[in-house]
Amino acid sequence: MENWDDENFDDGFDDDQLAKRVDVGLWQKLFAYARRYPRELFWLGVCAFVTACAEVAYPLLTRGVVDEVALKGQDASLLYWGLAYLGVTAAIAIAITGFVQIAGKIKTHVSHDIRAAGFDNLQRLSFSYYDHRPVGWLMARMTSDCERLSNILAWGFLDLIWGSTMMLGIALAMLWMNPKLALVVLGVIPLLAWVSAKFQRRILASARVVRATNSRITGSYNEAIMGVLTSKAFVREDSNQEDFGDLTGRMYGASVLNLTQAAIYLPLVITLASLVMGLTLAIGGFDVMNGLVTAGTLVAFMAYARHFFEPVEQLGAWFAEMQMAQASAERILSLIEATPEILDSDAVRSAIAIQSEAGGTTNRSKIAVDGGDQQIQTIELKGLGFAYDPAKPVLNNINLKVTRGETIAIVGPTGGGKSTLVNLICRFYEPTSGQVLINDVDYRNRGLDWLQSNLGMVLQNAHVFSGTIMENIRYGKLSATDNEVIDAAKLAGAHDFVTATELGYKTQTGEGGGALSAGQKQLVSFARAILSDPQILIMDEATSSVDTETEQRIQNGLGNVLDGRIAFVIAHRLSTIRNADRILVIADGEIQQSGTHAELMAHAGRYRELYRAQSLQETTADFLSSPLPKPG
Amino acid sequence: MISENKSTTLWQVTHGQRLRYGGAIVAMACLGLFLFGAPLIGKFAIDVVADSNLAAGMPWLAEFFLAESSAEGAPAGDPDIAGYLWASAALTLLVTAIAGGFLYLRGRWAAVASEAITQALRGELYRRLHQVQAKFYDTSDTGDLVQRCSSDVETIRVFLAVHVVEIGRAVVLLITVLPFLFWMDQRLAWLSIVIMPILAVGAYVFFDRVKALFEDADVAEGRLTATLQENLTGIRVVRAFARQEFETQKFAERNAEFRDRSQRLMVLQSYYWGVTDFFAMGQLGLVLLVGATFMMQGTLTVGALFAFMTYVGMVIWPIRHLGRVLADTGKAVIALGRVNHILSEPAEAPGEIPSSGRATGVLSLKGLNFSYAKHTPVLSDLNLEIAAGETLAVVGPPGCGKTSLIRVLLRLYDYQSGSVTLDGHELRNLDRHWLRAQVGVVFQDPFLYSRTVGSNVSLGRPDAPLEDVYQACRDAAIHESILGFPNGYDQKVGERGVTLSGGQRQRLALARTLLKNPPILVLDDSLSAVDTGTEQLILKAMLERKGKQTTLIIAHRLSSVRHADRIAVLDGGKLVQLGSHNELAEQPGLYQRLCDIQNKLDDTISTDLEASR
Repeated sequence: MENWDDENFDDGFDDDQLAKRVDVGLWQKLFAYARRYPRELFWLGVCAFVTACAEVAYPLLTRGVVDEVALKGQDASLLYWGLAYLGVTAAIAIAITGFVQIAGKIKTHVSHDIRAAGFDNLQRLSFSYYDHRPVGWLMARMTSDCERLSNILAWGFLDLIWGSTMMLGIALAMLWMNPKLALVVLGVIPLLAWVSAKFQRRILASARVVRATNSRITGSYNEAIMGVLTSKAFVREDSNQEDFGDLTGRMYGASVLNLTQAAIYLPLVITLASLVMGLTLAIGGFDVMNGLVTAGTLVAFMAYARHFFEPVEQLGAWFAEMQMAQASAERILSLIEATPEILDSDAVRSAIAIQSEAGGTTNRSKIAVDGGDQQIQTIELKGLGFAYDPAKPVLNNINLKVTRGETIAIVGPTGGGKSTLVNLICRFYEPTSGQVLINDVDYRNRGLDWLQSNLGMVLQNAHVFSGTIMENIRYGKLSATDNEVIDAAKLAGAHDFVTATELGYKTQTGEGGGALSAGQKQLVSFARAILSDPQILIMDEATSSVDTETEQRIQNGLGNVLDGRIAFVIAHRLSTIRNADRILVIADGEIQQSGTHAELMAHAGRYRELYRAQSLQETTADFLSSPLPKPG
Repeated sequence: MISENKSTTLWQVTHGQRLRYGGAIVAMACLGLFLFGAPLIGKFAIDVVADSNLAAGMPWLAEFFLAESSAEGAPAGDPDIAGYLWASAALTLLVTAIAGGFLYLRGRWAAVASEAITQALRGELYRRLHQVQAKFYDTSDTGDLVQRCSSDVETIRVFLAVHVVEIGRAVVLLITVLPFLFWMDQRLAWLSIVIMPILAVGAYVFFDRVKALFEDADVAEGRLTATLQENLTGIRVVRAFARQEFETQKFAERNAEFRDRSQRLMVLQSYYWGVTDFFAMGQLGLVLLVGATFMMQGTLTVGALFAFMTYVGMVIWPIRHLGRVLADTGKAVIALGRVNHILSEPAEAPGEIPSSGRATGVLSLKGLNFSYAKHTPVLSDLNLEIAAGETLAVVGPPGCGKTSLIRVLLRLYDYQSGSVTLDGHELRNLDRHWLRAQVGVVFQDPFLYSRTVGSNVSLGRPDAPLEDVYQACRDAAIHESILGFPNGYDQKVGERGVTLSGGQRQRLALARTLLKNPPILVLDDSLSAVDTGTEQLILKAMLERKGKQTTLIIAHRLSSVRHADRIAVLDGGKLVQLGSHNELAEQPGLYQRLCDIQNKLDDTISTDLEASR
């Protein structure tokens, strides 16, 4: 079989778009992160400058010594030259220590700051942002991109100052010593620049393939680890290995090509440099003989001819790196600058500011941090609608009013819009039409943080963090005592399985709760929600992986928990929802039926059909001949 | 290439490519020889022009020009010296070009060698990740393992590609330049190496420190990545509890820790660089000044001084870079240690493959004991006989050992005592691959590969005809849903493709296992996210298959288990009840309580339905 189209899988790993030009505006924005450290930047510049000057000075010192001896012979005095040499050496040693340290500081701090800004914004961005960006993609932005860009900002800046000082210094020194010879050396620069440009472009292109393949390899490792049980169960080891072998084979080819290009480039550069040295030697040597140039000058020139190409190459390499990293820069800036689609309005923000100034004087039990009511009395949905794509609305004209203490059950087929409705109520998404009113105030006029800190959620796919069970439950209320945590666990039916483990509440949950079963994760997340004492409790298939008996026990305890709260319960198992104050049947984005259990049962309709399907006796008749005997 | 269960050293890693590395180092040495040539040519040329005397020139080159001028019968003059100078220039170019050729060879060979080693290392890591026992993953973090396989391997690669040859070069340079220096001037030669012992001691101390600091920074980076990953995967929980501030605080700590530790590494390097540069450049100054004194005494020529300075510069250059080389070597040693953590993990040992081919599916458990940690038994003294073709349901409260039983059955974990046999073969002795080919499992939280829907299903039996694939999907009640995807069976799943609901993932995993058509089928709570109506459809299809394969069903609902031939009730790792639905419904116990709950519900439903009729 195996004819499925897997090869052209767009996994988005080809990130390195080769920029045609360097976008100055973009780099200026990024450089703003380095400008937060003006003192360091200044001293980095100074150190780079001093280093370059010292490197320019060495051949001049050599020339001085040689000429001193050549001219004065026995009477030459080397003391001052020696002291000068010592001084320059001390200066370069200090400057190098300085620039490595300062560049290191700027690099690590800029990387830290960009990452912090990114994380900060990620905490504010709406879920719609996450819908289209896989976790792996975000991780790459926050780790390798940050490192790469901060490297350019720190070391690139250093080399820019060092390189330009050095080039300028050497050019000036040569012109001052002997303009004719200087022009010979400088004349080769355009040739070198041309060769560099030609090669760098090719090296860049192959480096891009290497990076993209490397990302794919990382992705493969990730998949191998995440799917190891499945691979073992399906005995996929060998065919996985084969696929991976193709990938590393491609990586080998791309890397060797890239390195070979570099291996050709380097000899070309040194050959060019030797051309300059040869010319200097021939032309300069003749001048020495004719007494136009001193031997010391010739020695200095030969040294300069060797060193002049270093900064040219170095700057070229940075320029190329900037071209290649431009895509990284764009992505991280877009992440930092993305505005959350859902955020507090200016009015709400100023209300929060006024409240926080008022501080302890206000009564927190009545007035919320945003100046509105603390107590949620009613939630009203008015003509609520939502659509990702206007042509395909997910929810349409939903009207509903819920008062404190009510439990609303939501049933209906998969994809009917149940979860979307709940997400709108939590303001994880905002309605594209209509309103959600809390105590008759549109929730867009209330604080987002206030609303969400009054939520408790239990989801089917319960997420548990790594850490102990105690820490995970306490996430619902950070200040909770151990006893409060244990009480919540008892209410959630989690206490029994926790105490059955050797370490009890100190049991490690493993990465993503991997050490717990799906049912245990649901129970822990349920306890977490109860502990947070929310005004609004959302349960989305919260006990689907729990056995019937435990579920029943939770049901029995739930009555007390729900007192004085508004609860929304999504469930397939109708036993869970029979006691709800109101039941909504949602299908095709609309409320098709609404009412109490008794009311809905009174009409033939979707609800009654769903309900009937829950009965084993009723459904057995559908496909089994013999009904089940009742236990005595 | 990597030996079993032993830690790998850098030396072992180079196995198979040593010849090529040798070639690269030889090329480097030849390159060195030719590169020495250039200053030598310069030395003689400078001496010639300084004295205006061809006799001070390079022996045979000068003789050639001298012979030419004497043939003309005129004293050696300017034109000959000009000729000599141009010849020197051409020679410089030629010598460098040849050196460039060697440089290319070095680059090419080092590239091929290091990339080949890296490729082998990557493949070995990937293989080992599949081979290690499942328990390895209980204590490992995905992000951390990926970091070892990617950035640690990259550190090793850089070391192999750049520094192996660089170290070889430094050694070759020292060996070849030193005789040169002693040949030219013994006094200066001694001066040129006086600094080396100091640098060697400094390097030794630095190497240890840099390793320690690098490991610190690496650990901090791992923690930072893990925190980030947890936040992003759990972002819904973070929002639902409005814990952004708490998370930001936690991240800020990790972020700052990584920053500070990396900075400490840089500070260490800065001192090392500064100090070595001071000594290295001071050394050069010493040679210059002492050389100048010798020049004053007339015991050294200008050209020789120039050559000396260039050579000492050549020797000092690798020493100046020794800091970087050592730092990266230190990192490579640490990285290799981290990679070894995976490579030295014991692999699943192979076992015997029964000659009978496909298993019939008779399972027998006798006095089975199993635990993950020493003192907490998970399964104790389990006895169970399962006939070929029988359907056995397993029920029990969370944590009673249901899933562990499946893991033992697949030999993902090995049991401590007792016996489990398949068709009479002890599981412990069976080949794991063969065993797993006999057992098809649908996990609770199934994993799908980031490929197409079609290839995810067909990996159950890669050579299955299309009709079988469709049939398996129909049985798992997912066929219609797949046809509803924009690209049908060619729809990609995973992060870049469609997001499947929990129920869809479970059904896809079920289809995949049904297609595999194994002698033993295991459903581990694999319909929990499927809605009631669909569950009924699937169960109906499963009933039609009943008897064709041994089936184990772990489930929480009566609806899924009541049709089983027998039902096993587990509690606290022990088998507390075993029997058919009818038998267990009569016995007081957990199963009866389940029936009671369902019956009460049934009663309510009937009453409700009656009332509404």
